[in-house]
Amino acid sequence: MLKSFVLRHSSRSLLRPLSAKAGGYAPSTFLLVQKRGLESEAEEHDVVVIGGGPGGYVAAIKAAQEGLKTACVEKRGALGGTCLNVGCIPSKSLLNNSHIYHQILHDVKNRGIDVGDVKLNLTQMMKAKEQSVSGLTKGIEFLFKRNGVDYVKGTGTIAGEHEIRVSPLDGGEPQTLRAKNIIIATGSEATPFTGLEIDEKRIITSTGAIALTEVPEKMVVIGGGIIGLEMGSVWSRLGSEVTVVEYLGAIGGPGMDAEMAKTMQRILQKQGMKFKLNTKVMGGDVESDNIKINVESAKDGKSEAIDADVVLVAIGRRPYTAGLGLENVGIEVDERGRIVIDQEYRTKIPHIRVIGDVTFGAMLAHKAEEEGIAAVEYIKKGYGHVNYGAIPSVMYTHPEAAWVGQTEQEVKATGKAYNIGSFPFSANSRAKTNLDNTEGMVKFITDKETDRILGIHIIGPNAGEMIAEGVLAMEYGASSEDIGRTSHAHPTLSEAFKEAAMAAFSKPIHA
Amino acid sequence: MASPIRHLSSHLSLQLRQHGLRRGLTTTARRNVASPFVMPALSPTMTEGTISSWKLKEGDTFSAGDVLLEIETDKAQMDVPAYDDGVLAKIIVKAGPKAVQVGSRIAVLAEQGDDLASLEVPPEKDTKSGSGASTREEKVDEKNPRRYTRSPREEYGSGVVGSSARSVPDTARARRACTPSPSVAHLIKEHKISEHDVSAITTTGPKGRLLKGDILAYLGRISKAHLRELEGRIHKLEKLDLSNIKIAPPKKDVGKSAKQATEKPVVDEEKELKLEVSFGEVLKVQNKLQSALGIHLPLSTFISKATTRANHSLPPVSSASDIFDELLNLPYTTPPRPAKFQPKITALPIPPPHSPTAGADILDILTGAAPATTPAVKRTLGIAASGPNVISLTVKSAKEEESGRLFLEKLKGFLENDPGELVL
Repeated sequence: MLKSFVLRHSSRSLLRPLSAKAGGYAPSTFLLVQKRGLESEAEEHDVVVIGGGPGGYVAAIKAAQEGLKTACVEKRGALGGTCLNVGCIPSKSLLNNSHIYHQILHDVKNRGIDVGDVKLNLTQMMKAKEQSVSGLTKGIEFLFKRNGVDYVKGTGTIAGEHEIRVSPLDGGEPQTLRAKNIIIATGSEATPFTGLEIDEKRIITSTGAIALTEVPEKMVVIGGGIIGLEMGSVWSRLGSEVTVVEYLGAIGGPGMDAEMAKTMQRILQKQGMKFKLNTKVMGGDVESDNIKINVESAKDGKSEAIDADVVLVAIGRRPYTAGLGLENVGIEVDERGRIVIDQEYRTKIPHIRVIGDVTFGAMLAHKAEEEGIAAVEYIKKGYGHVNYGAIPSVMYTHPEAAWVGQTEQEVKATGKAYNIGSFPFSANSRAKTNLDNTEGMVKFITDKETDRILGIHIIGPNAGEMIAEGVLAMEYGASSEDIGRTSHAHPTLSEAFKEAAMAAFSKPIHA
Repeated sequence: MASPIRHLSSHLSLQLRQHGLRRGLTTTARRNVASPFVMPALSPTMTEGTISSWKLKEGDTFSAGDVLLEIETDKAQMDVPAYDDGVLAKIIVKAGPKAVQVGSRIAVLAEQGDDLASLEVPPEKDTKSGSGASTREEKVDEKNPRRYTRSPREEYGSGVVGSSARSVPDTARARRACTPSPSVAHLIKEHKISEHDVSAITTTGPKGRLLKGDILAYLGRISKAHLRELEGRIHKLEKLDLSNIKIAPPKKDVGKSAKQATEKPVVDEEKELKLEVSFGEVLKVQNKLQSALGIHLPLSTFISKATTRANHSLPPVSSASDIFDELLNLPYTTPPRPAKFQPKITALPIPPPHSPTAGADILDILTGAAPATTPAVKRTLGIAASGPNVISLTVKSAKEEESGRLFLEKLKGFLENDPGELVL
């Protein structure tokens, strides 16, 4: 702490000019003198980050905080990347509000609340979503100003090992940024489905799914992964008949514990979603008033056509490197388009580093953030830390699903003996009083001999918040007994977490 | 998920800590020292404000949440609440129409119980020019405008951390046995392991942390080999899996770079896998069906059923890294395990050169002109009914090769052992 403080003093306050736009703070003569420094064009940045998504903007802020002169190039016109603009954030707004609507329609009566005529105002629901988004993206812009990150609006292309050519969004003259270090954080895009042309109106990706102007009568979701199930949930709650077509034998993607995937499927089916697993989409006929999606069972080859008004393509995402100019400096990508790096995120040009979706590992915003911080720390301090064994995944359906560490099928494949400790929310007092989806559970997987936690899987209300405790436990190498001997407030859902831990090494009290 | 609010708050707490540490290092006695209360920035753009009224008189005590004063800016009029209990020791800028710069001192606060008469009032720092340190402080305060309204004890509460950090030597804190986890502590007590013995136990936890497993191994309840194996396994998962990277071929067309990059190199590492298979059992079943039911099922039916089944029996993604890769990723277009294998069946020895299908395929493969998907199951053409046959398969990468081999073995299994099950 002392060290960083001293560093910031010597290198940052005196040398790093504030962006010219950082006005609004009490202007002092001291700052005015510095502004002149920025206007000289040949000035070199210590770090230029290409991409202002959760990986890129976090890296940029961190770099500035470390006293490095930093710029962030973003071409969307708003910071926050896919996550804030068309991904995690807007979808969570819709998930939350559609859940409330659904609850008022189907649930509050049982709780003793009679509601009169309930109507959906989709326009307003979308407006609420946009408000959340714009508030947050502007918040990042503000954080850039506060930390002194130069925000460059335009398309960044790597022109040389230390040069980024930026074509400004407003169509002005291209400018060239010089950088000692470059961090590539250009993220990913939805993988298109061959044979179905995306128009974001009727054939949509997640981007179109958060911006439909009316509730489609019938919706087909291609891909039963997290994105497909979340967006499918939204429209199902708002009244669509949603059919999810998944090629694999389970929903939730391959990272989800098989038992949890089954449970989740059962719960979502009860909510009205339909599932066609082990089913391959062969193509579709898009007509003016209807879309027919042709599917074939991967089991028996039986084919059928499913009617749809809107088709959501959610088969995954792929790295986005268009126009980045990797070829100008000979940076390699692998066969899936991921930029090749080493453990310190370096490309073969060591001062060009890559983080987030555009390179290896899970495509998750929080993973990109961790890498952004670590990449900057490698630049500044020569050491950074990301523990890939303890990165949580959350699916924001209702109830939520969340997990960290290994699945039971993965642990089983190691051939080592393991313990399972699980506890249902139906035996948890708070879940009972909440009358809220008591079908879920907490499941611990531990090494049989050492009791060390190998994985934690939760389906239940607020599972996404609860998993944080599990991630922390794994980060510290905890045993299930460590959690079982830690006090959890009563009455809370977190007691189920503790009881599941107790079930893994001993016995739960309430089951 | 990436909420700037979260970053903001973590940033804030960091600033608090730094600030506190600095105080802890520069100030020895905290008692009876008043602290300046400066014009707060109530919005990011606020540079000055006027004091409409003080809600307290000098000497008044206040509790957290009490309104201290009312401030007017060009935009709004706002109450400024206290963040902690304290005493308003001195008002420096009285209420009036004169605009006060954000950051200038407007009052002096003390703690309840402080003797106001003997209170040491620190001189106001010149915030306009001067040293880097004071400029720095001003900047910090701008960033966290609300903090200004906190009373010193709360604001610099972490100064306590600073002082304890000074009094406790680092070496003492580094002793891992000092903070055993609940399960570890329990085992140590239960088995009355002496502190000395605990410090000698080999640890396998992250950053040398002592885990329950380490104690169990020390007690001889589990094997040390298992402990080491587990540690290795977990250590591997902590790293980003960068093994087996297949570099895409260099691109020529710059404009299409992204698109091409995501396409799989089709020709590069193609490889043909072969396995011998006998159709003896299939023929027996075929004959049985013919005689019992009068139905003739062609060999191709058996093969295609076995193909479907073998494809399905392939195990799910085999490594943790693959699962990570695939999480939210591309199960359709870029399968780490092949979508579906389509085998070719040929008689052994290799069919005569006039067999058009086989010939064309091999040529195609050699010249690199092979179509992306080989035609469906070859008809019975070239199959030797009784003798040994060869099923072959073209795989596109080393990764595919593994599951390809497994696929062939499964297929062989289905065809040679009880093929009747396939069609019944």
